[in-house]
Amino acid sequence: MSSLADHLPSWRPVLLVAEREVAAIFDSKIVHVCGIAFVVLASSIFMNEFFLTGLVDMSGFFELLPLLLPLFVPAISMRSWSEERRVRSIELLLTLPIRSVEAVLGKFLAGLVLLAVMLLGTLPIVVMLIVLGDPDLGRIAAGYLGSFLLGAMLLGLGSFVSALTADQIVSFVSAAVLSFLFVLAGNERVVPVLDGMAPSLSLGTLLHDWVSIAPHHAAFSRGIVSLSGLCYYLGVAAAFLWACALALDWNRE
Amino acid sequence: MIEVSEVSKHFGPVKAVDQVSFRMDPGEIVGFLGPNGAGKSTLLKMMVTWLLPTAGRIAIDGHDVVREPLAVRRLLGYLPEHSALYEGMKVDRFLRFMGRMRGLSGDRLQERLEWCIDACDLKAVLAKWCRECSKGYRQRIGVAAALIHDPPVLLLDEPTHGLDPVQVVAFRDFLRDLREDRAILFSSHILAEVVAVSDRLLVINEGQLLADTPVDELRKEAGDQDLERVLLDIVQAGRKTATAGEGAKA
Repeated sequence: MSSLADHLPSWRPVLLVAEREVAAIFDSKIVHVCGIAFVVLASSIFMNEFFLTGLVDMSGFFELLPLLLPLFVPAISMRSWSEERRVRSIELLLTLPIRSVEAVLGKFLAGLVLLAVMLLGTLPIVVMLIVLGDPDLGRIAAGYLGSFLLGAMLLGLGSFVSALTADQIVSFVSAAVLSFLFVLAGNERVVPVLDGMAPSLSLGTLLHDWVSIAPHHAAFSRGIVSLSGLCYYLGVAAAFLWACALALDWNRE
Repeated sequence: MIEVSEVSKHFGPVKAVDQVSFRMDPGEIVGFLGPNGAGKSTLLKMMVTWLLPTAGRIAIDGHDVVREPLAVRRLLGYLPEHSALYEGMKVDRFLRFMGRMRGLSGDRLQERLEWCIDACDLKAVLAKWCRECSKGYRQRIGVAAALIHDPPVLLLDEPTHGLDPVQVVAFRDFLRDLREDRAILFSSHILAEVVAVSDRLLVINEGQLLADTPVDELRKEAGDQDLERVLLDIVQAGRKTATAGEGAKA
């Protein structure tokens, strides 16, 4: 009789895949370029606003990330499964004694490492603010946590899309478009338009409250670490990772 | 050790494998012969759990490939077609990764690594990136990865593809040395190669198993005749039977 433990992922193969993936990610020139571009772009846009407002605060920086991460995270995730399919190493990996979900989690963990490195690359902003004034460090930490969780969710989405195609460009564009839908669904200009299209449904409000990242990201940016926000990001990421594992198994049929 | 019963694989209307059955015992080397597109790779992919059969059952050492894929994969060493490797890894790291994924660690991993490197003659390329290796070396790296955990069942898809004639002869000897207590199934579309090393021959064409015969018997049957001629007769007879069967169904 099989126990629950038989169906749970084993961490050894997850960590082994993650270790291999981290090495592969840092070996990829595209990923280097994207990582550096993210840090330069995010920092320079923030600095522009910082010189205009003169506030020792990172709210503007965190408000910017929902527009940058949907572009940069798919650049990390696009290679995860598409590249494996293109060079056919996927057959090698998934005929090892490893469950699809363990391989998916391994690649996801490796993506999280790169995401963390990208966000850590913006830490000089925090150092600068500490030198120049007295920023609210709790609020900044919550902002970083929210941004990391947002990136993790988009990484899950990107992994799923990547499992569906062997073409990295298709994977990147599809994941970026879907990621922007999660961002734009909660945009203050989009919500009234959607509400107006179907007033009885209040579609815009519905999407804002239940689908969009907007309310959760805004809360983290204000320094509020809410349970609903944690559940949203982790739940959506888990759902996409599960769908990714299903897509890989479905390819066997 | 290996039981394949009435296995079929359909891709939409295309029957890539059609009701194939055979069995293999430990210590046996079986050559899987057929032209390109005959269904050899599809059948191997089902045996290694990469593809699910549309119908029928495949069991490796009693483990069903659909119900117990992890147990099956632990027993198998597999060399896929096209020798797909992780291009961005150095050869020693790649083999170490494959060993660790197979559950090896410490002294046992080191021991198996040294054995594979020696057996597949990989010392010269250990520090190279996989992407820098020649076709012949890539094939040998793939074989080393398949053997890293000393599996009781070895499935090799076109293992001599890309090897030069000297390497092909060396590979045949290598395969014979591996046979003890191991079931080895390898595919090829070259008759001389299969006959030179196998105990038994499976001939497949258009998804159907046309012959399952010991190589010695085939040689006896051929007598003074060319083996290729005998094989061609088998394939043509199989085609006629299949056509007659379809006609009867219609």
